Amino acid sequence: MQTSLIVFIFMPFVLGLAAFLLPKAARGILVLAAAVANFLFAVSIFHKEAMITIPWAGAGMDFSLRLNQFSGFILLAAAFFSLLIVIYSLSFFKGKDNAKQFYLYLLISLSLVNGAVLANNLILLLFFWEGLLLTLFGLIAIGGRMAFKTATKAFLIVGVSDLCLMAGIALTGYLAKTLVISEIHLSLGGLGSLAFILLAIGAVSKAGSMPFHSWIPDAAEDAPLPFMAFLPASLEKLLGIYFLARISLEMFKLEPESWLSVFLMILGAATIFLAVMMALVQKNYKKLLSYHAISQVGYMVLGIGTAIPIGIVGGLFHMLNHALYKSCLFLTAGSVEKQAGATDLEKLGGLGRKMPLTFAAFTVAALSISGVPPFNGFFSKEMVYHAAMERGMIFYVVAVVGAFLTAASFLKLGHSAFLGKIHQEHKAVKEAPAAMLVPMAVLASTCIIFGIFNYLPLNNFIQPILGARLAGRSFAGFSANWFLVIITLLVLTAALVHHLLAVRFSGSALKAADHIHHAPGLSALYRWAGKKYFDPYVVGLKIIDGLTLVLFKIDRGIDWIYSSLVTRLALNFSKMIRKMHTGYYAVYISWSLLGAVIVMFFMFK
Amino acid sequence: MTKELTLFLIILIPLTGVFILPLISRVSASLRNWFSFAAILLSAVFSFLLIPSIFKDGAVTVFKSLPFGFNLALTADSLAIFTAAVVSLISALIVLFSFDYISHYKHQDEYYPMVVLFLGAMMGLVFSANLILLYIFWEITAITSWRLIGFFREKEHVLRADKAFLVTVFGSLLMLMGFLRIYQETGSFDLFTIKEAVKLHPISNLTISLILAGILSKSATLPFHTWLPDAGVAPSPVTALLHAAVLVKIGVYVFARIFVATIPLNLPWQTIVAVIAGASALVSAGAALVDTDLKRIIAYSTVSQIGFIFLGFSLGNEIGVAGGVLYILMHGLAKAGLFLCAGIIEQNAKTKDVRHLGGLFSSMPITGISFLFCAFSVMAIPPFGGFFSKYMIISGTFQAGHRIIATVFLFGAFLTVLYLFRAFNLVFMGEKKSPSTVAGEGSRLMLACVAAFALLSLLGGIFIRFPSALALITAQKMLL
Repeated sequence: MQTSLIVFIFMPFVLGLAAFLLPKAARGILVLAAAVANFLFAVSIFHKEAMITIPWAGAGMDFSLRLNQFSGFILLAAAFFSLLIVIYSLSFFKGKDNAKQFYLYLLISLSLVNGAVLANNLILLLFFWEGLLLTLFGLIAIGGRMAFKTATKAFLIVGVSDLCLMAGIALTGYLAKTLVISEIHLSLGGLGSLAFILLAIGAVSKAGSMPFHSWIPDAAEDAPLPFMAFLPASLEKLLGIYFLARISLEMFKLEPESWLSVFLMILGAATIFLAVMMALVQKNYKKLLSYHAISQVGYMVLGIGTAIPIGIVGGLFHMLNHALYKSCLFLTAGSVEKQAGATDLEKLGGLGRKMPLTFAAFTVAALSISGVPPFNGFFSKEMVYHAAMERGMIFYVVAVVGAFLTAASFLKLGHSAFLGKIHQEHKAVKEAPAAMLVPMAVLASTCIIFGIFNYLPLNNFIQPILGARLAGRSFAGFSANWFLVIITLLVLTAALVHHLLAVRFSGSALKAADHIHHAPGLSALYRWAGKKYFDPYVVGLKIIDGLTLVLFKIDRGIDWIYSSLVTRLALNFSKMIRKMHTGYYAVYISWSLLGAVIVMFFMFK
Repeated sequence: MTKELTLFLIILIPLTGVFILPLISRVSASLRNWFSFAAILLSAVFSFLLIPSIFKDGAVTVFKSLPFGFNLALTADSLAIFTAAVVSLISALIVLFSFDYISHYKHQDEYYPMVVLFLGAMMGLVFSANLILLYIFWEITAITSWRLIGFFREKEHVLRADKAFLVTVFGSLLMLMGFLRIYQETGSFDLFTIKEAVKLHPISNLTISLILAGILSKSATLPFHTWLPDAGVAPSPVTALLHAAVLVKIGVYVFARIFVATIPLNLPWQTIVAVIAGASALVSAGAALVDTDLKRIIAYSTVSQIGFIFLGFSLGNEIGVAGGVLYILMHGLAKAGLFLCAGIIEQNAKTKDVRHLGGLFSSMPITGISFLFCAFSVMAIPPFGGFFSKYMIISGTFQAGHRIIATVFLFGAFLTVLYLFRAFNLVFMGEKKSPSTVAGEGSRLMLACVAAFALLSLLGGIFIRFPSALALITAQKMLL
């Protein structure tokens, strides 16, 4: 078991490297074999416990791994999504020359995720976690000639949050006197709160929460599409929320009374609302989805931030559900892009008849993300609603408004892409190949199964994580809170009615949200957002530009002392001395005598 | 072979080699090149051979009395042998790189002896246990670097070399005054005697400031740093040698030797050094983001990273000091690689102005990847080695309770990521700017050298266990 865990971590990396070096014919098989082997391995170690520690960098920085219920579950989920995305990519990347690099980075990422999930030492965790920066950069940069700009943006944004994480880890290690995660039990307050915030920043920004989100919509446009399903939609969410849960459940005891709980809830609520407002007005399939990938993190952060069992279970369940439906949605976007050659909603329409299976998968996933019963998203959202309601009405209201806007934007997306009139050039579009359909079908049916039979994931994966905290309760089955369910149904109906009315008045599905887009007051905000005035990255770089100019001026000022001031002083001084050299014999004699007198004075004083 | 003899050989092989080199260059140019390489490589090999026994059994010391109260005191403790091994290994690779780089320039017969002398002086300095001996070697490096910076003999270059020489010698004269004051206060130039003496009478603040000024000027730290970017006019292997591997590490090393291992600084001084280092790291990082000359950008980056090393050594706790020791290795490897990549670009694209470069990745993939790898190591991205050294220093800063300083350095670390990416994107990504920048790869030997630095940076991180263990032991011994 011990060594097999290490094999588990490094196997995808080694096979990925081999696939990269081997000729094209062997590549696909090897990549598929790596993903399958990784999945089987994750299945075989699920529900087992193990712990290993190998001396590594010294000073408490050991290579220590810990397999338990929670990490086993995340590994299994990550392996599941990776396998499906690999199958999908084998067809998606056919005939593209960046496939070779894509597989390499994908498998290295998988290795790093495996390592980060298993790590039981904060430094080891940071080692794998921050290593993901490299593959993130690579995966985006292979998207096109100018994709490196977005890749750099992603690298810098995630890099900042990783630096926060590094600081948090240093501080935690200092406070706890150990870096072993399972031995850290700190209380909040004072420096403990600071350490918690720094670690939480690292966690939620990996999941894509605001304000560390702005690279995701850009990457949706530039990066190859399976990347979106792979990292921002599934693996990064799993990793980020996993770590958030570990710090708030294990390392620190986050209690509802703590202001940090409120802090997380505000962060979650703000992310839900602001990102979904942006999603609503997008006119591009991929970009619209990417804003939802941000917005949905809000529900997870909000759920865990409530610090009460139903909220935590809801948040974790939502993490799993989100990974399912969002990767499915991105895969449908990929198949539309590949078959129809466009993701701009203005150029799409009526594809439902040409690509019925893709449309079906899209419909299931869209119903799930909108929280329609009995799909999986409904159940996890209800739990989060329940917890939010218990903690404060305002959080609940924001979450429900978010649900309304989510439903509205997916009605708009589905309507304008798959229904309506088909464009002339899309008359000959065919359904996507089987290798692309299978992963979508698997994901969509899992969405249904995890909804109707929600005790399966809840009892097997999620509720054991909380253990004693649950005190024997179970949240499986249909939601117990009928009041919340009725409100949800009303809100969803309202979204449908709103959509139908908006389509009738505006005359087009794509313009169904335009009255919000161009509402007085909002339109200016949207315009500024379009110009990236609210993008923390753009604003941050502007500030840093100004700051560096000041620093550069300081540097030049110091250089001026050496290049100008000192040399000028030296020249002037020597000019003065030179004047003393008059050439008169008498003057020299008197100088010498004066010198002799001074020497005598000092010698016989 | 006894350990003492090995120690002598490490220093004497390059130092005597310098006198043989002019004779050999009469015979054959390629023999001269390989002889210089061999002299430095032998130093490296012997240093590595000494590592196991010194880390296991403790320091090796040679003490010979000389007339007029001088003495020849050499000591090879873990700090010294670690630094010597790192520096000589990096220098050997740089010399190998310069075979092809320098082959079409004049004055090669001066270049090789100067480089070998430089390395020999560095080895002598590292093992000196006597302040006067240390000072002598220190000034030899100043003279050789003055010749090397002005290698191309253009008027502007010679002026820059003069600037470097004047600033560092001004500093070292202050340091010499400090050494004399140490003699007055403790009655000895000998580091062991001084270490015992200062336990009874602390050294005066003026003495500390004088020596610190010398150290800061040599290691190009605020406010004595501007000579370093200016010295970028030197041939690229020279800048790699001076700015990455050897020259700037001298100041850092002497700081560790005197102010960590011999005369431990008190808390106010530790804070002062940390603040100076922080200011230096920020100002130079800012300058690196504005400057447009590739080599100047990398040089500013050196100034900035040296700030991290000073911070680590000023902390006075084990993990911080170990981070500083490890940083000497990781930064040396990565930064030498960056400068050599810049050398290839400069030679093949005929410019080092980043505004006129662009899109070079497609025509120079190996240089590009090596540059990126080395940059990742300097940025402290795992699994590259720089990650561990930077983390250890940040962790030590928190342990020492300097939270504000830690924040400043984290910001500095972010700026590092920013300016290295800016440089990489401008040079390798985007559109090709002009037809003259359709540059091919460097020669095979040059590529092998930069790739070696990139790989060593990566392996240093993956096999962190070994360097990290050495650094931690070194730190423990220094703090005893």
